Amino acid sequence: MFANRSRLNKYPLLPFFVAALLLTVIASGCTKRGSQDGKPRIALVMKSLANEFFKTMEEGARGHHAEHKDLYNLKVVGIRNEEDVAQQVDLIETIIAQGTDAIVIAPADSEALIPVCKKAMAAGIVVINIDNKLDRARLEREGIQIPFVGPDNRKGAKLAGDYLAAKLKAGDEVAIIEGVPNAFNGIQRKAGFQDAIAAAGLNLVSSQSGNWETAKAAECVSAIATEYPGLKAVLCANDSMALGAVDALKTAGRTDTVYIVGFDNIEAVQKLVKNGKVLCTVDQHGDQLAVYGIEYALDILNTKAAPADKETPVDLVTAETLK
Amino acid sequence: MNNSHRRIPAWLTDYLGMAGALGLLLLIFGLSTENFFSAATFGTIANQIPDTTIMAVGMTWVLIIAGIDLSVGSVMALSGAVLGVALARFGIPLPVAVVACLLVGLLCGLASGLIVVAWSLPSFIVTLGMMEIARGATYLVTQSRTLYVSDRLEMITDTTLLGLSAPFLLAVLIVLVAQFVLSMTVFGRHMVAVGTNETAARLSGIAVRRVRLAVFAVSGLLCGVAALINTARYQANPNNGIGMELQVIAAVVIGGTSLMGGRGSVVSTFFGVLIIKVLGTGLAQTGAQEPTKRLVTGCVIIAAVVLDYYRRRLRKTGTEAAQ
Repeated sequence: MFANRSRLNKYPLLPFFVAALLLTVIASGCTKRGSQDGKPRIALVMKSLANEFFKTMEEGARGHHAEHKDLYNLKVVGIRNEEDVAQQVDLIETIIAQGTDAIVIAPADSEALIPVCKKAMAAGIVVINIDNKLDRARLEREGIQIPFVGPDNRKGAKLAGDYLAAKLKAGDEVAIIEGVPNAFNGIQRKAGFQDAIAAAGLNLVSSQSGNWETAKAAECVSAIATEYPGLKAVLCANDSMALGAVDALKTAGRTDTVYIVGFDNIEAVQKLVKNGKVLCTVDQHGDQLAVYGIEYALDILNTKAAPADKETPVDLVTAETLK
Repeated sequence: MNNSHRRIPAWLTDYLGMAGALGLLLLIFGLSTENFFSAATFGTIANQIPDTTIMAVGMTWVLIIAGIDLSVGSVMALSGAVLGVALARFGIPLPVAVVACLLVGLLCGLASGLIVVAWSLPSFIVTLGMMEIARGATYLVTQSRTLYVSDRLEMITDTTLLGLSAPFLLAVLIVLVAQFVLSMTVFGRHMVAVGTNETAARLSGIAVRRVRLAVFAVSGLLCGVAALINTARYQANPNNGIGMELQVIAAVVIGGTSLMGGRGSVVSTFFGVLIIKVLGTGLAQTGAQEPTKRLVTGCVIIAAVVLDYYRRRLRKTGTEAAQ
């Protein structure tokens, strides 16, 4: 013990660690004092607040909080990039240290966030999973249960795929533009598209990742359209990529022969759905997703009910529904 | 005399080397896909490179003066965001919005340049700061939402001359002018001198600070120009251009411009951009998955700079033999 201490003293950075520790203690002291009003404290841990989808989700949550200020205290934190797992883990550790009653989390990764969520639960915090579903098998192995409150992305994608399939005939060539390879919701959407493609007997000629990005998707769609002159449709796992597909097909002069399907129902795409440049998209009611999670967290805190998954609605958006 | 005779073929071999590498890539993809050698492929490539090319021109100049500009992707996004908001939210007339877009780019470049010059700071860290500032400002300006503006900017993407799009022609023009300034004007010689040996340049009476400031300002302005094209195609998306700085730097370095300053060519940069784009399009056309794409792209970048090393050594021994 003493030997250890003297060895530690040799580290020139030690004063910084002490300072950092002090800061943490002071910081956590402050928040603890600030929240002694008896209301439950809920921390909403988001992915990138720079992303329109999460921004909408956050605004929905803030709106809900503004209307129910007497029910709970809300703290919203987000990470810089959608894939910055490390930063999200750090955020949750800080929240645990500062103390909270519930964490509603949109995990940046469906496995990597499980250990820190487990840590939070061990500290007596109610953890609710929204948006990106945590890996079931891994949760079981860790011996914990974290309820998922959110839409069935696969079902949503199937809805869009079925709507498209009704406009095509068996054997028609279609392509999928996937999300970031490890994202669970992206994988689910791809699976949903594939379900619809299989059911209608369409011919899936290519499936590539557009990394959720417009420019990247445009590059992929251009290349696929060139390689497959008979291409009839492109199914994109989000609307940003659908925007890239719109551009690519316009450049190729094939706007009229290739259908585009999106997902998320962002504002910029609604215009294109209305004028027929995008066939359909899927609304998973982004503004309500965090609210559902918060409401469920409050529910569990109040009733001490056993947590279970809750499915939220997904709806198909077409030119007719937007009228 | 002998020396200058040698220099002309050396320039030629430079370009031939790049053209050879490009030809090799084209051949590989031509053989491995069905429709790579088609007007559609080359039309697409010509349509998708202008924004990267224009930013790479600015980056070439910056690298030649031994600087680096990490802010280009963010500055482009910010310029595009201002353009998008001006058009879509405030309905400002197009010419005014375009001027605002260019001004934003120019001001960002000027700001970086002024700070670098005023405190003699490394441009790496200053432009890293600017990268964050511009991205943050982009999220603020757009409120993290994608703005649909293609319908107002169709004249940018749809204008064609002899079958080539206006953005492509503009990019080629900028490449030629930038190469002319670099190799034929006093300012160009000054840039090379500053990049080769700043102290020597100062002692020989070159206004080193003014040269550096001007180069960063030009880089910023070119980001504004690139933003016009990028936004017209991909909408004002706050996440546009993330990671683009690295793509641009890679293209410039593949073109043989030295990261250490004092050596570079804008025309070679254009080849660098082409190589990266042909690679991206070709891989997408073969239907390669994301991991393969990244692995191959990384290998090509490294192979290109290793080749460049040998080419330079050959040229050096050739020059020495001549003397």
